[in-house]
Amino acid sequence: MIFLLPSKIILITIIGASLAGIACSLMGVFVVRMKLSSLGFCMSHAAFAGSALGLVLSFNPLLMALIFSTIIAFILGPLAEKAKLHTDVILGVMFSLTMSLGLTFLNLAPETAMSSVAMSILWGSILGMSGADVMRLAILTTMVVILMTLFSKEFRSIMFDRKMAEASGIPTKSFYYLILFLTGVTVSLSLKLIGGLLIFALLVNPTSTAYQFFYDIKKIIIVSPLLGVAFCLVGILISFLLDFPVGSSIAIVSSLSFGTAVIFSPKRKKG
Amino acid sequence: MEIVPIEMFNVDTIYEGEKIPAIRNITLRIEKGEFVGIIGPNGAGKTTLLETINGLLEHTKGEIHILGKEIKRCGPSIRKEIGYIPQEFGVDDLTPFLVKDVILMGRFGKIGPLKSISYEDCRKAQEAMTSIDINGLSMRPVGKLSGGQLQKVMIARALAKEPKILLLDEPFSNLDFNASADISQQISRLHDERDLTTLVVIHDISSIPDRCDRMIVMNGGRIVKDDLPKKVLHPELLKLAYGIKG
Repeated sequence: MIFLLPSKIILITIIGASLAGIACSLMGVFVVRMKLSSLGFCMSHAAFAGSALGLVLSFNPLLMALIFSTIIAFILGPLAEKAKLHTDVILGVMFSLTMSLGLTFLNLAPETAMSSVAMSILWGSILGMSGADVMRLAILTTMVVILMTLFSKEFRSIMFDRKMAEASGIPTKSFYYLILFLTGVTVSLSLKLIGGLLIFALLVNPTSTAYQFFYDIKKIIIVSPLLGVAFCLVGILISFLLDFPVGSSIAIVSSLSFGTAVIFSPKRKKG
Repeated sequence: MEIVPIEMFNVDTIYEGEKIPAIRNITLRIEKGEFVGIIGPNGAGKTTLLETINGLLEHTKGEIHILGKEIKRCGPSIRKEIGYIPQEFGVDDLTPFLVKDVILMGRFGKIGPLKSISYEDCRKAQEAMTSIDINGLSMRPVGKLSGGQLQKVMIARALAKEPKILLLDEPFSNLDFNASADISQQISRLHDERDLTTLVVIHDISSIPDRCDRMIVMNGGRIVKDDLPKKVLHPELLKLAYGIKG
């Protein structure tokens, strides 16, 4: 199949996937270290629900995905922060709510529900990315890299321990909400490639894999995006060759890599 | 006139969603160079008091002046002058941070945003490590340290920012007798060498540092006694404070 596609589409897919891999796994460093997994999970499904609503209303699905994931971030952020609700409870309630909303919205538009656009929101699509999507991802990835470089001290300090960072004079609240906002935007912009159901894998798996090998967060910040890109490209190749949904291929590749990393992790060797 | 490091006037702190203050009517003045120990039973309000002093918890009544500034208005800038070691911090076996980086982080608030780490900052962090004799640990992951080593790292981190005030929340908990005595000795020495004002919350009264100039006993969110250690560490008073009968 790969040989039948125009080279421009292949190029757009490869660049888009690499950018999504970088952005998602960079944000994944925060999600994994700060134990924001349930939050990231809900945000990715909220993006899916928003995107589906966009389809129903014939309104820009990307913009709706952005709005939904940002709203979820700013509702769940304070809830998770104050720890009044256990993360499992947040996850259970919000996951089912956002998933049901997404599926209901798709169902409300029968003529588009089974269309390729709707399916690409669910599972991702190699052909779903346009030049404009790649451009948006390029801007986002550049923004994430610049912010992580400019505020490297503050982000690292918060990732070590938020309370201690606050105690050392860093205004952590604004950085915390910046992290949530960037995660929401990253999820929304990467949705077309990997799909709403599996985008979470690209957030968590590269960082979790890098975690198995390094004790230095700076190395994890460098290696995670490299793994993110590798997982995306291998996933796309498998998707091309075996005609699998691209989101599933990326999730399977990254999950298997994580499993292998756990087995061979020097951190888990005794003695 | 010398600025008073810590002044509290009739302070209450209520946790969100609670009705009863965790600390109430606290009026306290701690002079420069004092070494103050805080004791009391679980739930007495000792940790709340420390977190209220450095503004991590917002007080709901009264006024707090730290180094002459109102904590509510100048929280982050005041915290740059306070070395704080909480009771618990997020370190587990896999924590991906090296000792040298954790200590340098102590200076990040002081350096400020958008400014890079200077040679001077690295030197101060190195100096803090040397002062507490943990140079050998600098490349170790923090998750792999023993309780005593980790406590020393946290002290070095607090010192790296060259604080004027040191707030320590149960620095001897989970340590064996030798490690506890060692940490206690180090804190006392650094307090004198660096001309600090130190507040230390102590759970186990057998580990109260000899260096303490003053002891505060808390119970039910109130200060029930504030005096010289020899007057406070009286069996009858302690029985009363800890609610021990007989």
